[in-house]
Amino acid sequence: MKKFWITLILVVIVIIVTIVAIPKKKVLYIYNWEEYIPQEVIESFEKEYNCTVVYDSFASNEEMYAKIKAGGSGYDIVFPSGDHVSIMKKEGMLLKLDLSKIPNFKYLDENVLNKTTYDPNHEYSVPYMLGSTGICVNKKYVKDYKHSWSIYEDERLKGHMTLLDDMREVLGGALKYLGYSVNTTNPDEIEQAKNLVLKWKQNIVKFDASSYANGIVNGEYWVVHGYAEDIFQRVPEGEEENYDFFIPEEGGTLWIDNMVILKDAKHVDLAYKFINHILDPKNAALIADFLGLPSPNVEARKYITTEPIYTIEELKNCEFIEDVGEYIDLYNKAWQEIIM
Amino acid sequence: MKYITAYTLWLVVFFVIPLIIILSFSFLEKTPYGGVNFSFSLEGYKSLLTIGYLRILWRTVWISIISTFITIIFALPTAYYIAKSKFKNFLLLLVVIPFWTNSLIRIYAWIFVLGNNGIINQFLKLIGLVDSHIQFLYNPWAVILVIVYTYLPYAIIPLYAAIERLDNSIFEAALDLGCSKRKAFFKVLIPNIKAGLVASIIFVLIPAMGSYAIPDLVGGVNSKMIGNEIARQLTTAKNWPAASAISSILTLITLLGVIIFVKSSKKEVLN
Repeated sequence: MKKFWITLILVVIVIIVTIVAIPKKKVLYIYNWEEYIPQEVIESFEKEYNCTVVYDSFASNEEMYAKIKAGGSGYDIVFPSGDHVSIMKKEGMLLKLDLSKIPNFKYLDENVLNKTTYDPNHEYSVPYMLGSTGICVNKKYVKDYKHSWSIYEDERLKGHMTLLDDMREVLGGALKYLGYSVNTTNPDEIEQAKNLVLKWKQNIVKFDASSYANGIVNGEYWVVHGYAEDIFQRVPEGEEENYDFFIPEEGGTLWIDNMVILKDAKHVDLAYKFINHILDPKNAALIADFLGLPSPNVEARKYITTEPIYTIEELKNCEFIEDVGEYIDLYNKAWQEIIM
Repeated sequence: MKYITAYTLWLVVFFVIPLIIILSFSFLEKTPYGGVNFSFSLEGYKSLLTIGYLRILWRTVWISIISTFITIIFALPTAYYIAKSKFKNFLLLLVVIPFWTNSLIRIYAWIFVLGNNGIINQFLKLIGLVDSHIQFLYNPWAVILVIVYTYLPYAIIPLYAAIERLDNSIFEAALDLGCSKRKAFFKVLIPNIKAGLVASIIFVLIPAMGSYAIPDLVGGVNSKMIGNEIARQLTTAKNWPAASAISSILTLITLLGVIIFVKSSKKEVLN
């Protein structure tokens, strides 16, 4: 037994010494969507400021929010979408930003800045990317279709389609198709949207937010509802023209992902520098090229080499998903009846 | 006593305390954006009194029970064969080999094999048996298949341990005394490996009840299980008391099930 204790104590000592003795580089903890910043942009930041960046990823705003709300996340910068910026702001989870520490903020597109109704004066958030959730069709299998939500009513495609496993996105699409606002608080409109989604449900394979992108690329699904950048990162080179990503003519949902600093962040200075680094036009161009999305950074558009999957102009019919406060229970109830 | 101190400590820190936290959260009031107010409320439980929850709970129970039953049916002969084989160690190694691969990857592999555009469907199309495809996945039976596949090793190992200890001569005695083979199986083998059988059933049934990734990936529009609902309440619905209430009920059901099961099987052994 004595031997055991001696070994245990020795092991503990070794671990402590290693932790203490390792030269301390500053570390920046980022919590972001999967594959959302190209590696080279992170590496150039690490080199410039002699620090380490830890990049953890989440698959949905809700997952991110639950983890941070539960406390002790330890992250410095997080990338929530607009509705969750508004929630996190209300819950007092965000640090009030000092924009003078982010000189590159001036490069951001006025048109984008005007759309951030969740944080109109940019006191807490800086836009990172914007885009729309849309529908992607694999043209190898589907030849004749309309750029409309009505594709989900097409019985010939039964068993080959997916919708996102996301309450606001799916109900939002249905609301748009019916000609209503995606942020409606009218119970009757939500009821109609619910009935429409129940009809779509008969034609889809599943509500899928985790494997739809792989699914459409390997032929498992023919029509998916989701994010363009997720899909096109997986499409093999040279096959891009087989995939038609479109924003339905009735319109869809719009999102802006933002950079925010958490109130209990430990590396605030480094966090400011990182946000500024991301807004540097050359880096912003690398990011837009990597994701295939239009850049909200005006200056960056000079450096962009690939054509985005859609342009900011094409998003005119789309509408932001906003935080609807307690009316969210109407959505929760409708969604529960859809999926259970 | 001191040998189990470490384990007791482990259980208290990582099991008992979290369980108490979950249980207490389930009796608190929800706030609109997640989190709880520290005042007593039964809303978390009341919100579960809908037909939808009954349906999802019932689905979880029947999927788990059928999966466990099928798993044991496969595990019993396998364990028997391994225990009586000359190459025990090698065969046991084969049983645990799947653990070398991450379980998510193994679930995705099923999509690759059975998917609409998977190997089997491509083969069927090649020989002209089907025009487009047969949809094997995205229904509760696919969930059962993958649960059986995932938890089979957990069932084989305790059964193997139980059978391996048995003396071959008890079977010889039974057969010599005029027992039929089938009778020897039910009257001699099964009662003698009861403890292993109970362990196997528990090892499969409990994780199956809490399945999350399997119904999420190979399930369809109507195969969500209670684990998926807990996650949804915690994240999308931002209703922490409801999420805690479902977790508490799930824990209670499994706990009660295990206690009743273990007690009744002990009695039978004594008889």
